[in-house]
Amino acid sequence: MTPLIYMQDICRYYVVGDSIVKALDGVSMKVYKKEFVAIMGPSGSGKSTMMNLIGCLDTPTSGKILIDGDDTQGMDETRLAYIRNRRIGFVFQQFNLLGKISALENVITPMLYTGGISSSERRERAEHALERVGLKERMKHLPNELSGGQKQRVAIARALVTRPSIILADEPTGALDTKTSDQIMELFNELNEEGNTIAIVTHNEEIGNSCRRQIRIRDGKLEEPDVL
Amino acid sequence: MFFENVKLALKAMKGNKMRTILSLLGIIIGVASVITILNLGNSATGSITSSISSSGYNILYLSPGSGSRNTDTFNELFGQTLTENFEEIDTVMPTVSSSTRIRQGNEITSCQIMGVETDYGNNMDCELEYGSWFDYTDNIFKRQVVVLGSEIAESLFPACDAVGNYVSIFRNQSKRYLVVGVLAEKDSTLSTSYNTSIFIPYNTFAQRFQNVSSVGTYVITVAEGYDPVKVTDKLTEYLDNLVGSDNYSLMSSASLAEMASSITGTLSSFLAAIGGISLLVGGIGIMNIMLVSVAERTKEIGIRKALGAPPRIIKGQFLTEAITLTLTGGILGIGLGIGISRIVTGMAGWTFSVSLSACILSVAFSMAIGVFFGLYPAAKAAKMDPIESLNYE
Ligand SMILES: Nc1ncnc2c1ncn2[C@@H]1O[C@H](COP(=O)(O)OP(=O)(O)OP(=O)(O)O)[C@@H](O)[C@H]1O
Ligand SMILES: [Mg+2]
Repeated sequence: MTPLIYMQDICRYYVVGDSIVKALDGVSMKVYKKEFVAIMGPSGSGKSTMMNLIGCLDTPTSGKILIDGDDTQGMDETRLAYIRNRRIGFVFQQFNLLGKISALENVITPMLYTGGISSSERRERAEHALERVGLKERMKHLPNELSGGQKQRVAIARALVTRPSIILADEPTGALDTKTSDQIMELFNELNEEGNTIAIVTHNEEIGNSCRRQIRIRDGKLEEPDVL
Repeated sequence: MFFENVKLALKAMKGNKMRTILSLLGIIIGVASVITILNLGNSATGSITSSISSSGYNILYLSPGSGSRNTDTFNELFGQTLTENFEEIDTVMPTVSSSTRIRQGNEITSCQIMGVETDYGNNMDCELEYGSWFDYTDNIFKRQVVVLGSEIAESLFPACDAVGNYVSIFRNQSKRYLVVGVLAEKDSTLSTSYNTSIFIPYNTFAQRFQNVSSVGTYVITVAEGYDPVKVTDKLTEYLDNLVGSDNYSLMSSASLAEMASSITGTLSSFLAAIGGISLLVGGIGIMNIMLVSVAERTKEIGIRKALGAPPRIIKGQFLTEAITLTLTGGILGIGLGIGISRIVTGMAGWTFSVSLSACILSVAFSMAIGVFFGLYPAAKAAKMDPIESLNYE
């Protein structure tokens, strides 16, 4: 079985002034279909960097990343955008909803970039996704009319609606209280049980341990290197 | 996708009404001035050509000044001198005119009275509603006969046919004149408003009505096949040598039209320059506001990129926004321009006409400005780094 995510010797260096920051330093790992992975590690260890690389928002300094079998090396922005649109669903700590449009329109937005989906189908799928996260009644609301938990649900619906290969969530509960965090994690668990592949970044040991698999990272290196 | 972009653009504009209007001011003023110029140009040209066609393009008016030297030169025989010297000149008709009052029964009205030769009616294309123009014998024998302009006939003889009746014309004492003809309605020319004038034989005028020392105005018709403007120039040279440029005036609708169109031409190019400059400034304003908009919405751009918007679509979004913006400016400008030209034509008494091609041109041009000045900001948005813009606060 081909892994969904395949990372081989990934390095991501930043040049800051005269020095080089090795945000990721030779990371290799695989994520298979239907997995639920927690990426954990102290602050500054390179978790977000790794997520951005998996999500094709960023390109590595060296190394190889395959998404669903496609080598992303040398892809231009247009092709990376295509991968992000079809294969990746992002959920962010700060929700990152578009503030001036309704929850429904937010969920419709990624489908606008897919092409070939009629507006009625876009709407239908968006409503369905919002229903799945339990926010159908709030779909006409603007983001600032929603609570943090509700915003994150909209963001999850937006990530789900394109039926991505993997949902990437960088500290999805970082801006939420414990109770709401638990509800969101519950939702992720359900989604995983329904067959979605999910990777989340978290600080929280409890949350991390509730996931089926943990990848621990420290100073840009995996604590237990994955065997490729 | 395009439709969504337009919706987004309108939303963005609505959210920042004041800023939108201010940034559009340059475009609005630019388009409005271009529209005004073209509309006014249209109306003015229309009015000028209609006055040319009504007054006869091939007719020149030569009026002597009141110098003593003129009395010798500008006599009745001067016309003959001209026709003999210039093959370009077909006929020369001396005319004299004055203002007077005319009475019939209890009706009195003031009017312009002209002493003209028998051919005048024919040469000036005067159509008669009733009766006929006076003939050569009337002129030779200085008979007291008169042709009335249509308005004069109407006010003096509202109920009955004027021809065959007598009217009294005042000059120190009143004299009785036989009405021989009534003119059909006719547009005014440079020198004569036909509807409110009356016409008597030249010799009658000279002897019975008022002692004339010199001819009032020579009405000169240019022979077919010659350019009235060139004939005017030639005649001017001749007259300058003969009496000096201060002692006569030579007018023609052709040269007036030329002058008018050169004035409107200068005016148009001046206004067009203003229009062009404000369009340029307006375009720069658009570029500025689009750069601000792109910077303000860095986060939004990052989010859209994360959701999979390719650079092409981001570019399209901001380009559409710029075009929507300038198009709105263009349409407002067209409205303003039409309003202004309507007021101006109203004041100038011209017929108001909207130049459709100008409107279409303005719409196209303002869109082109949107494309031209929106391209750089849009490209800048498209090139933004996804992570940097996503993390932008
Ligand atoms: N754009 C950048 N320029 C320079 N250094 C960077 C940049 N982005 C990240 N880094 C550095 O790379 C390292 C890893 O950053 P990263 O954001 O991946 O950490 P993280 O594990 O997500 O931390 P946190 O838990 O605080 O979010 C850090 O030392 C950070 O300072
Ligand atoms: Mg992070």
